[in-house]
Amino acid sequence: MTTPLLSVENLQTQFETAEGTVRAVDGISFDVHEGETVGLVGESGAGKSVAISSVLRLVESPGEIVGGEIRFRGETLLSFEEGPNGERRQSPESLSNKEFRQRIRGREIATIFQDPMESLNPVFTIGSQLQEFIEINRELPPKDARDVAIETLREVDIPKPEDRFDDYPHEFSGGMRQRVLIAMAIACQPSLILADEPTTALDVTVEGQILNLVSDLQEEYGTSFVWVTHDLAVVADICDRVNVMYLGQMAEQADVHDLFDNTKHPYTEALLQSVPRPDKTVESLTPIEGVMPEAINPPSGCRFHPRCPDARAVCREVNPEPRNVSDTDTRHNAACVKHDAFDVDYEHSTPIQSEGDEFGEDLQVTEGSR
Amino acid sequence: MSHLRYTIKRLLQAIPVLIGITSITFLLINAMPGSPVEVMLGPTASEELIAAAEERYGFNQPIHVRYVKYILAALGGDLGRSIHYGVPVTTKILERLPVTLLLLASSFAFALSVAIPLGIVSARRRNQPVDHGSRVVSLIGVSTPNFWIGLLLIIVFGYHLQVLPSNGLVMPLTPISEVEGATSRLDVLVQTVRSLIMPTIALGTLQMAAVSRIERSSMLEVLGRDYINLARAFGVKESVITRKHAFRNAQLPVVTIIGLQLTSALGGAVLTETVFNINGMGRLIIQAVRTQDYALIMGTTLFFGVMFVIGTLLTDLTYAYLDPRVTYEGED
Repeated sequence: MTTPLLSVENLQTQFETAEGTVRAVDGISFDVHEGETVGLVGESGAGKSVAISSVLRLVESPGEIVGGEIRFRGETLLSFEEGPNGERRQSPESLSNKEFRQRIRGREIATIFQDPMESLNPVFTIGSQLQEFIEINRELPPKDARDVAIETLREVDIPKPEDRFDDYPHEFSGGMRQRVLIAMAIACQPSLILADEPTTALDVTVEGQILNLVSDLQEEYGTSFVWVTHDLAVVADICDRVNVMYLGQMAEQADVHDLFDNTKHPYTEALLQSVPRPDKTVESLTPIEGVMPEAINPPSGCRFHPRCPDARAVCREVNPEPRNVSDTDTRHNAACVKHDAFDVDYEHSTPIQSEGDEFGEDLQVTEGSR
Repeated sequence: MSHLRYTIKRLLQAIPVLIGITSITFLLINAMPGSPVEVMLGPTASEELIAAAEERYGFNQPIHVRYVKYILAALGGDLGRSIHYGVPVTTKILERLPVTLLLLASSFAFALSVAIPLGIVSARRRNQPVDHGSRVVSLIGVSTPNFWIGLLLIIVFGYHLQVLPSNGLVMPLTPISEVEGATSRLDVLVQTVRSLIMPTIALGTLQMAAVSRIERSSMLEVLGRDYINLARAFGVKESVITRKHAFRNAQLPVVTIIGLQLTSALGGAVLTETVFNINGMGRLIIQAVRTQDYALIMGTTLFFGVMFVIGTLLTDLTYAYLDPRVTYEGED
């Protein structure tokens, strides 16, 4: 197997708060290969955005990356080792913050932020902001950077880019600003773009345009993407592989087709049942009962068990790591003990009540009384 | 273009403000017991003498007649004569104005040159010792009356250490012969600086503290915005982020505070000038009230009103310069 472009292993990011430590990202691993679009899916609060910020070292105090390893083209960007007093500290192989800023940010790994209305500096023109990033990351003189900026604005379908170059963000609509953010990412010619819910703030028609645009650009440049979203329709549309996160951990990791057609984790299944799908006809949609618990005090064992319809006693005890449960050659990881790969005697464990069950019973009663 | 139109419009809007200021002041003065004539002639003056003087200065006319006369004359640039000094009010104001302007300019130069870097460093090193230190200084600064700071400075540097003059302000253009011990223009300038130091600190500390507090909080707010994170994500250096990406955005609330401080500093100047025996506008207004010098009270108050209008106008125009989203179009 070839070296992945980006490889994240056992990443842990936590936030120290007055109430205690919040493990927002608690040991996730995922890879991104050249030219691939990898989805990072989950409900709000699952830790998707924190995972992205961690890769770019943009986690702000009181947040801190406390463990794991991040490699880019095989080179270690960040890793940890044991210090002399047994404390965990960054290993010397990790890039220094300065090197990381100069070599990685923007240049190798660019990002598209979630909120187009907040992500552009209101007091500078669109063009000057774009040009600045190009100057920094492609080491072009101002004049050339300006030309590249205008050309890129044209590529993301900003009409009359020469004229719009000197306009301020407030003179652009949300969709246009999102295009500008995309232009910033691609203009720096990175190998990887981390897109943090870039279409969530947009209406559906604009979202469609943006997704098409991104697909076109990806075809043209072969850039890899990590696409963070909670929208499975978007995942189906653009992703090659998908990582499903739940409460700071990975629930399921699979090829996009396997994930939709051969779902292995009850959480993914619940997610899929909660949204309409063009390829399946259902009587009604089933919401996932309950809300995701706070990461500050996660449930014991499998974090999904209080909401899981398949939960058994053993699920309270064991917090499974994702393991390969594929029936084919393609890897398909699931972190659920109901699979044989986990030898914890799920078969003989007693089923337990969960919020998911309660809902299921209610449904049966309604059906019976009909 | 729109800035020019806006400026003119704002200046026109200042007219009602000034009419308000003059009419309220006029009414207040006339509500005071006694009259300027009584003050001028003393307690032993006869009734006839007072009546004759009142007729001469026009005080026997009804108040609205006097008000309209005053306004009409003021429009022509005539603010009347000071009874106490015996010279036109405008002459007196022009004589005192440069002193107060110099004091204000020097206080603000001091306040801003300390406050803005202090606020920024504080925000960048939030909750570190330098931040705690600057916050303590700011808190003391905003809660200490300026006359008290002035008195303390006089006691320490003027009286005990005797390193700085605690009395009066030497203007830079004073004739050389009138400045004690000066033989050249340079000596005069040195005296100017020396005599400015303590009043500047006394008057400027409050503005310095207020501005550094708002600079800190404003910088902190801006540094947490998405667009700052975006710049970081694209490899922009922290120093550039502070200087360029965050600074301009953070100055909007700061400008508002500076504009407000400009007006409050005028009040502070009254006290500072009194403490340091500086013959500026502040002492003039106090002198005017003490002697019930109607024309002079009106003139100085009007001047403070004009300063207030200019202060807010400057604030608004700076806003437009700093923030492209502020336009004055469509306000017509």
